[in-house]
Amino acid sequence: MNRLVTVAEMTLRELLRRRGVLLLLLLMPLTFYLIRRDAYLGQSVRSLLLGVGWAVSTAALFATTAARELEPRLRLAGYRPHHLYLGRMLGLWTVGLVISVPFFLLPMLDGADLRYGGLAAALLCSVGVAAPFGMLIGALLPRELEGTLLLLTVVTVQMLINPAGSGAKLTPFWSSREIATWSVDHTDGGYLARGVLHGIAVTALLALGVASVATVRLRRRRHLRHLPVG
Amino acid sequence: MNSDDWLRALTAELHQRRVAADAARHVVAEAATHLREGGGNPWVVFGPPQDYANAIVESIGTAPGPRPGPVRLHARGITKRYGRQTVLRDATLTVRAGQIAAVVGANGCGKSTFLRICAGLISPDSGEVTVSGQLGYCPQSGGTADFLLPDEHFVLVGAGQGVARGPARRAGRAAARQLGWEAGGAVQARHLSGGTRQKLNLTMSALSNPDVLLLDEPYQGFDQGTYVNFWDQLRALRDAGTAIVVVTHLLNQLDRVDTVLDLTPAQQSGWRTPGVQGGHP
Repeated sequence: MNRLVTVAEMTLRELLRRRGVLLLLLLMPLTFYLIRRDAYLGQSVRSLLLGVGWAVSTAALFATTAARELEPRLRLAGYRPHHLYLGRMLGLWTVGLVISVPFFLLPMLDGADLRYGGLAAALLCSVGVAAPFGMLIGALLPRELEGTLLLLTVVTVQMLINPAGSGAKLTPFWSSREIATWSVDHTDGGYLARGVLHGIAVTALLALGVASVATVRLRRRRHLRHLPVG
Repeated sequence: MNSDDWLRALTAELHQRRVAADAARHVVAEAATHLREGGGNPWVVFGPPQDYANAIVESIGTAPGPRPGPVRLHARGITKRYGRQTVLRDATLTVRAGQIAAVVGANGCGKSTFLRICAGLISPDSGEVTVSGQLGYCPQSGGTADFLLPDEHFVLVGAGQGVARGPARRAGRAAARQLGWEAGGAVQARHLSGGTRQKLNLTMSALSNPDVLLLDEPYQGFDQGTYVNFWDQLRALRDAGTAIVVVTHLLNQLDRVDTVLDLTPAQQSGWRTPGVQGGHP
């Protein structure tokens, strides 16, 4: 448990020291919100949620890429793969939750008539999905540029795809969109239930993906035999 | 080189030649007294530190070196290909507790690959490695976190071994001090100079008190003083029973090691026989 917490803490420390990154993390969802503010409020809130998801995914991608060379030596220093990826995920979720707070308050200050419980749930889903999503891309694509471009593609698809179509359910942030609809348009509870279920399932699947890649990459190689000190 | 530098160099040379610690202290103290009272340039009075150390060894002999212990690392028949290119072919190395092994060879001959295979970071196409005890690894570059402080690196590595924060920090700072670096400052790793960053890298690898320490040209960016400290520290670790493998291209250091693995491909027959045992007896 101590190892897990230490990795989470160091992830948090690293991100908090990147002031430029933090500023951009806050700026991105804010821009998304404001750019749609003059139109229908639902679009504005959905864009805000997508902005939060995109920002946290990008942070996760860069944190994963940056740790690529450090992790093998931490493995040798006694860490198990799950300490490393779960600790990092924990740190990223914490950062995501912290940056979500102002964006929870923003529509409130803007006087929007929302179900705020729904907004909180949608933000949780956005952050929950974004951390393992960015980590998985970072684990699969070792170069930041490729990772960023893939992330951009996925988020653009998410933004442009018809939400009512069946393909939309395959996009990672569909859950927060559904919950946002329940929150903004005061629709029936089916939206909330579908969204929450989708969010949990996608988060679990992505976390499983991260776990699989990390376990393979940081595995004990078969050619290396460890003996106790004689 | 002033008198102090000369005396420091003499101390290192005597230590390297395994002159007994008490006798070495006595010799250095006598030389210092002579220089202080008589004055003069030590290079003129005593000659180069290496020559004077050789003369001392001839005169008083050396302390018996510690007997090498049990085998700690045994790499056998390591072959590695990248595509059609064979980088390593049937490389073999055995290192015992209390030995330093050097892996040498031309650029691109697979020195770092060999070390990464020994560390279990990549798989060979064939061959196997047996390690007794805890393994430590210092990469050629990278391996640190840009936005963390040195103390936080020590805490991170220490936690892997279940070491509490305070002792991990203290152990890290003490190890760094041996390399002439005060690591307690609040400077993020990205702001450290190349040499100091390598000191951090090296300190991290030795922090978990490994039984086998694998070092991939860890001294890049070191100044002369740090370089001497580095070898002193390696000898201290060796004398404490650690098995050490150093990738190096600095051939003048080979006389300080116990075993040499030369991975340079031979010009005509394809590959030179690996596992050349040489250097320090």
